[in-house]
Amino acid sequence: MMRVLEGSQAVAEAARLARVKVVSAYPITPQTHIVEELAKFCSDGSLDGRFICVESEHSAMASVIGAASGGVRTFTASSSHGLALMHEMLHWASAARLPIVMAEVNRALGPGWNLWMDQTDSLAQRDTGWIQLYCEDGQEALDSTLQAYRLAELVNLPVMVVLDAFFLSHTYEPVDEPSQEEVDRFLPPFEPKFRLDVADPYVLGEVAPPYIYMEMRRSIQSAMESALCLLPEVEEEFAGIFGRRHGLVDAYRCEDAEIVLAMAGTAASTARILVDELRAAGRRVGLLRIRLFRPFPAQAIRAALGPARKLAVLDRNCSFGAGGIFAQEIRAALCGHAGPAVYSYVAGLGGRDITVESLRGVYEATRDRPEPPTESVWVGLREEILCE
Amino acid sequence: MSGLRSARVSLLLPRSHSLTDANKTGSWSFIQPRYGDKTAPCGEACPCAEDIPRLESLAARGLYAEALRAVLEENPFPATCGRVCFHPCEARCNRAELDGAVAINALERFLSDAARDAEAPSLAGSGASGSGAGKRVAVLGGGPAGLSAAYFLARLGFSCELLEAAPELGGLLRYGIPAYRLPPEALDRDIERITRLGIAARTGARVDASFLAREAAGYDAVVVACGKSRPERLALPGAELAGDALAFLAAARADSAPSLAGKRVAVIGGGNGAVDAARTALRLGASATILYRRRREDMPAFADELRGALDEGVSLRELRAPASLARRGDGSILLAAEPMRLAGIGPDGRGRVERTGSPAEELAFDAVYAAIGAAPDEAWAIPASSLKLGRCAIDLAGSPPRAYLGDLASASLPALAESVADAIGSGKEAAIALDALFSKGPGRVEAEVERSRVGGGPSVSLGAYLGGERGRRSRRVVAYADLNPDYLERRERELGPELSPAEAARGFAELRAPLSPSSAIAQAERCFSCGLCNDCDNCRTYCPEVAVRLSGGRRAVDTDYCKGCGICVTECPRSAMSMEEPVS
Amino acid sequence: MRMTERAGEIREYLSPGHVGCPGCGATIAMKLALRALGERTVVVTPASCWAIMVGAYPQSSLKVPVLQTGFATTGAAASGLRAALDLRGERETTVMGWAGDGGTFDIGFQALSAAAERGEDFIYVCYDNEAYMNTGVQRSSSTPWGARTMTTPGDKWKRQQKKNIMEVMAAHRVPYAATASIAYPEDLERKFRKAASIRSGLRFIHLFSSCPTGWGFAPDKSVKVARLAVRSRFFPLYEVEDGTRYAINESGELPVADYIGGQNRFKHLGSEEIALIQARVDEEWERLKAKAAASPIGQ
Repeated sequence: MMRVLEGSQAVAEAARLARVKVVSAYPITPQTHIVEELAKFCSDGSLDGRFICVESEHSAMASVIGAASGGVRTFTASSSHGLALMHEMLHWASAARLPIVMAEVNRALGPGWNLWMDQTDSLAQRDTGWIQLYCEDGQEALDSTLQAYRLAELVNLPVMVVLDAFFLSHTYEPVDEPSQEEVDRFLPPFEPKFRLDVADPYVLGEVAPPYIYMEMRRSIQSAMESALCLLPEVEEEFAGIFGRRHGLVDAYRCEDAEIVLAMAGTAASTARILVDELRAAGRRVGLLRIRLFRPFPAQAIRAALGPARKLAVLDRNCSFGAGGIFAQEIRAALCGHAGPAVYSYVAGLGGRDITVESLRGVYEATRDRPEPPTESVWVGLREEILCE
Repeated sequence: MSGLRSARVSLLLPRSHSLTDANKTGSWSFIQPRYGDKTAPCGEACPCAEDIPRLESLAARGLYAEALRAVLEENPFPATCGRVCFHPCEARCNRAELDGAVAINALERFLSDAARDAEAPSLAGSGASGSGAGKRVAVLGGGPAGLSAAYFLARLGFSCELLEAAPELGGLLRYGIPAYRLPPEALDRDIERITRLGIAARTGARVDASFLAREAAGYDAVVVACGKSRPERLALPGAELAGDALAFLAAARADSAPSLAGKRVAVIGGGNGAVDAARTALRLGASATILYRRRREDMPAFADELRGALDEGVSLRELRAPASLARRGDGSILLAAEPMRLAGIGPDGRGRVERTGSPAEELAFDAVYAAIGAAPDEAWAIPASSLKLGRCAIDLAGSPPRAYLGDLASASLPALAESVADAIGSGKEAAIALDALFSKGPGRVEAEVERSRVGGGPSVSLGAYLGGERGRRSRRVVAYADLNPDYLERRERELGPELSPAEAARGFAELRAPLSPSSAIAQAERCFSCGLCNDCDNCRTYCPEVAVRLSGGRRAVDTDYCKGCGICVTECPRSAMSMEEPVS
Repeated sequence: MRMTERAGEIREYLSPGHVGCPGCGATIAMKLALRALGERTVVVTPASCWAIMVGAYPQSSLKVPVLQTGFATTGAAASGLRAALDLRGERETTVMGWAGDGGTFDIGFQALSAAAERGEDFIYVCYDNEAYMNTGVQRSSSTPWGARTMTTPGDKWKRQQKKNIMEVMAAHRVPYAATASIAYPEDLERKFRKAASIRSGLRFIHLFSSCPTGWGFAPDKSVKVARLAVRSRFFPLYEVEDGTRYAINESGELPVADYIGGQNRFKHLGSEEIALIQARVDEEWERLKAKAAASPIGQ
């Protein structure tokens, strides 16, 4: 049924339709609409679950770890500082092999305090063993959340569904919300592969000495590799029921593109306008939207790029001392393969707008430079302030 | 869908599959605890070698029949001893150092009443030697020593024939101890339990020395337990005017004593017999006076008995030696008593006295009884070649072998308190000696009896003789300092309520009411169970390694896991464990 | 003080072969707690000595399920687990958080406070050995005044008072808070059973667990030292209902010197310092007595 939903609502609806049992969260802007919506569902009975009002994000993750260990489907949401505070428990959740799903609203970290869009918070968690899915719009946020449960429970790894602050979390769009029956067909009741059970007692999360620790870590890596193979199959099933698929990456008009713009999140929607414009003017330009970041879909990226000579990667994040993170990852994925030269751009940090015009500048700079600079280029920077 | 369901995904996670008991952490230890019961001082002091801590622990759980059976293991006279024993156990009780001895004696009486139907414990399967099977033993004398010998011999499988001169069994217990100390019903219960073991008892069967010559050959052994049947006579002018106190007590027991209402009665002597006679006279309406040569503290009578007598109104004239008796015209007896004074302390700790030289005091009485002791009949003189044990002597060369018991034997044996309990202990010692004689041969008798002693002796335990748990205990006696002071909490000693002296003097009712069941349990709970595990379970409760295992009622340390921390030993309240280097 | 029989079969939920130090008080604590709670119990334990003693892969020293969790998270993880069990219909299973003093007084305090405030339905046990023992004896806010640890060494022995965690928990008005000691097993087991029977909020048990390794005394004295702590009123046994009604269960009249004397961590203290400790203990005792008198349990 088509509804006009805020991005946050789309995620909350998906969690409700997934029949989560325990939701645990601590408020942080811009995540609040998601958890407020779920609190309401728990309160009005439309969700048969418990909302635990914890006192911190660290505890939010710990409590869903506890709940997931008890064998129920769980959900939490966070952002920015909250996610950073969770960091320890993010490692815990994945190494404990718990299929927790979390909505993460990309927001900048302070100081200075900044409530707006920035991907550094989630990308800083890339080594925690979480699967990360970056969404472009409300529909994808809803669909990704449902797929996240399916995938998490297949591979026993937690999944982070990532939304842009405000641009997605607080934006109302028409969303096709599936019925409960349809969702139930896609997402069977949770059957945990292990859980704390007094009838079959064991320890979870115990000491792992050197003789076994590496094998356990390798098992996480293997599960990540499985996720890469299984997500397309999950998408197949999803498409079979709902008629939609989003892909590991989303290649838009890349088939014969010489220059491809690459990015994740809502900026891709802006880029589509530019691509359409440039294509209308006869330019061979395409867009590659990265949806899956962990596990990193290197092969899908290589396949999507086709004959492109130049790839302009737009990062709304920065790994200080190294530059844009997506650019680094893509460079690593292309290394040793015939492929385009990677141009790295840092743009739109802390909620600064990425417009069609700023993207046009990125396109033109890429087009005009025969070789990519070694450093990331910061887009739209007010150099005069920096120089003072 | 099916494709996804069957997806194989690696899932190796930190999740346990087995218990830590595969780790034999006992290898960490260099010293390990051992269970080792030791000897309680009370049990060592008891002439019958009763396993007092054990019976207290059973009583504390309300297991009265089991507790009484524990008594009967070593002593066939619980109802009797629970009343008349001078309870040296209590004098040695470690609890006395804290808040008063455990009321062991009162508890024994309680058990004898509470579990009155309990039978003598069977020795089936106990490892009894069985040497008695088919052997006939004549026991001469049906007093406590003879009955005890017959009891233990019968339990060891001997056929016993018991010959008693008096019309009823019991000896001194029946004829010499007043009913207010030992009601006949209590004695009867003990004796019936003994004779139910199949002992052929013939009363009214007086035997003399010629018995040994004429009939002994028909037996495999003879136990001589005739006691001191010959009262000592006063040696002074007019001695014939004094009656025999024992005969007086017997008459009173048989209700055939004359009324003494308003009469003045003197009892000469300082032993229990003197006190019993004086208190009996008092109960028959007389005023009673005890005359004793030495000081009050030198009297062999139990202090409690004397105190009771004095409280009831008996007079004591200490340091008065009777010099003569004379009948006066009014029928009364004039007793001349010479004043004495202390002339040093003898080797036994008692005062020695001499005449002061002052003129004799003249006292008038209506009756005078002598209670100056008794002696065995010369007919039962112990052959010099006899093997002297703690409380009996065995004439191994006799044909058949003979055992001389109790008071009879004590004349030529180390000095012992002459008590019912000693007599019972002597009967048991003789039974063990004879069993050892038949099963192990004459050369082993002494060693077998020694092996059966409790602590430093001289009491012997049948349980120890039979090689039971008792015999495996260390003979080291647990002192107060060996106990864990953390577990020593003050709890009142309590006895049954006592009749007032005035009420007591009015008749022959027992002086004390029995303990109530709740008091009995409370008293039993006061027992520290020195040296003897009483299942307090501290060792198991506190063991951090779950290395104390309980199986078949016994605890053991699982050395696979014991790290040797020693908490069990430290927290054993009663010194029933110790730390030892492991035996590799 | 039990002097007589306790001989029946007792189901143990602690397995031998664990790696606890010889004489470990915290091991006895767990053993007794699980005896009281029985098999329908799930334990949640953060970083601590007990995280190690639970066993290394693939072993467990406990015969009940255990969830190991992050150091700071006992209160939160237990909350989530409780919710999961409830939603699975496993209401009768007891959830027991089991954290050390570091995991309770310090790093886990926030999550504990929050769980108490939310009225979460589980038992939270702080087994208190008064320092970070698993990491090699560093001070915590539970370390008593006067004690030396590796981070309060030499003359810089700890000069701050031990946090009064019981009062903190009472101030949360939890339905039940109690102190317990390994030296008083019957009292301990009673309190665990009582805690299990109360379902109206978080139940807190402050469980004194002596540590021969960290405190410096012979391993056989673990129970004795714990008993002395009670008998010297250093650690009186009491319980608080709804944060307001008090009952004192066990104490004593021994001087604190008797308790302190046998432990290396205090051996540098002179009579003056011990007198200060005594004064503080007396003061706290009077305060506790006054509370128990003013608002006793059962009225």
